[in-house]
Amino acid sequence: MVLVVVASRLDQFARELVARWTPHGAALLTCTDLCLKGWRYYLDSVEDAAIVIDQHIMTAKNITGVLTRLPSVFEHELVEIVSADRTYVAAEMTAFLLSWLSALKCPVLNRPTSTCLSGPYWRQEQWISAAARIGIPVRPFHRSTRLSVDAAAEGSTPDTITLTVVGQQCLGTTNRTLVSQALRLAEAAHVDLLEVCFGDPETEAYFLCANPWPDFTNVKVEESILAYLQAGKRTSEI
Amino acid sequence: MIVLWGLPGDRPLAAVRNVLRRWGYSVVFLDQHAVHETDVELSVGPTVRGTLWIRDQVVDLNTITALYPRLYDVRLLPCLKNKEPSSEAWHHALAVEDILMSWAELTSALVVNRPSAMAANSSKPYQLAWIRSLGFKVPETLMTTDPSAALQFWRCYGTVIYKSMSGIRSIVTRLTPEDRERLENVVWCPTQFQQYIPGIDYRVHVIGKEVFACTIVSAADDYRYAARKGKVATIQACELPEAIANRCKELAIAMDLQVIGVDLRCTPDGQWYCFEVNTSPGFTYFQQATNQPMDEAIAKLLGGHDIFPPQYYV
Repeated sequence: MVLVVVASRLDQFARELVARWTPHGAALLTCTDLCLKGWRYYLDSVEDAAIVIDQHIMTAKNITGVLTRLPSVFEHELVEIVSADRTYVAAEMTAFLLSWLSALKCPVLNRPTSTCLSGPYWRQEQWISAAARIGIPVRPFHRSTRLSVDAAAEGSTPDTITLTVVGQQCLGTTNRTLVSQALRLAEAAHVDLLEVCFGDPETEAYFLCANPWPDFTNVKVEESILAYLQAGKRTSEI
Repeated sequence: MIVLWGLPGDRPLAAVRNVLRRWGYSVVFLDQHAVHETDVELSVGPTVRGTLWIRDQVVDLNTITALYPRLYDVRLLPCLKNKEPSSEAWHHALAVEDILMSWAELTSALVVNRPSAMAANSSKPYQLAWIRSLGFKVPETLMTTDPSAALQFWRCYGTVIYKSMSGIRSIVTRLTPEDRERLENVVWCPTQFQQYIPGIDYRVHVIGKEVFACTIVSAADDYRYAARKGKVATIQACELPEAIANRCKELAIAMDLQVIGVDLRCTPDGQWYCFEVNTSPGFTYFQQATNQPMDEAIAKLLGGHDIFPPQYYV
């Protein structure tokens, strides 16, 4: 059984993560694997697909979970492809991964959307608006082309607290209000993996920003992600 | 106020602009060529507000009731030619577009269509799976880097086409014996092959609640490029069976799109296949041949008429 980490070939952290997760069957999928003979994906049968992970051909049935750390395939990584074709090939590979990752039945963190291979591609305004819509206090976010880039963000940097949502778990605080807000925001964004940052946690906490690509250097976050992805294995073994 | 956003030479935009002007609507044309004379600011909290400056014109974003974006790739704009990506001009152009795209996602104004909803077309197999889940037949599809799998698929279906998976336009082409050696090239990138479906092509535009259908008869594999292959494409307005027209409307609703162009084919035994939903259709190509008033339908939609009632979106 395989836990797949989809990442840039330049993502050193992903390589280290896969090395740590080797006892759990982790393997790395990069754009290099998409330039290798062996992929066979029929639109109507994703489970029967032949796939290439870490340069080995296997079947999609063996995948128990997928962690995606890649918003799209970047053309500068496609060193095997002649430069004139890289833009096209990067778009094709992204389109292919979107289709394939969407169809997988196992746990996928985060599930792709049409705008990003891992969760939604939301700008800061969209996170603020989503938080405000579900009743989370927010500080208005302001952008303007009339200001310099440095001046675009308003106000000083407050004290912050960062929470990480992994499925139904929320790590980083015992503050029930913030935990509830972070979980509700993840639900509103249809993601199971989300880093949520609040300002002034000691006084009147308000939502600052969110990020579907959390910092994995926290051991507890890493363990929670692994447990989430392995839940697929448990389900399939029952 | 209605905002049209794109290039003045874009035919669908120009056609809709002419109708709106003729009907006396207040229209702002946000010309991408004038991006250096455009500024925007946006503030988002519990409410969304902002201002747009186009030369001397000042537009309160909250006064905009409808937006029709048909954007050209900002990086390819002539005004950015010979400028470095690190230049102030690039930063400004990208920032204007990004802020307005963000607003387009959040505004309560009618957006035809919202950028995130249009993005489904950036992966044709992803969209095809969605189309199938909504009740249309779709062709058998293989994506592969394995030449032998492509060959096996070809043998299985007899006639097979290949086309791009992404939003980058490609010419739909039938595999021929001359392509046999080239099949080895699929090892470099997953390539999409589809069962060839014989029959008559239909292009269906859903605009709000209105449906405009036409047939396209052509000997070319891809009628859009018939002339290039020395062939012709004959386009004629037609009526669709009610069930098929309704299914096309359901596609638009499910995909949260106000205007779509649906590519259908009806087989000799009456099976309806859907190949793709175009989320920013160049309807003027078909309007020119059929005289179907699609520009007026879009203008009507932007003017606040003929949208689906809210219960459709529940």
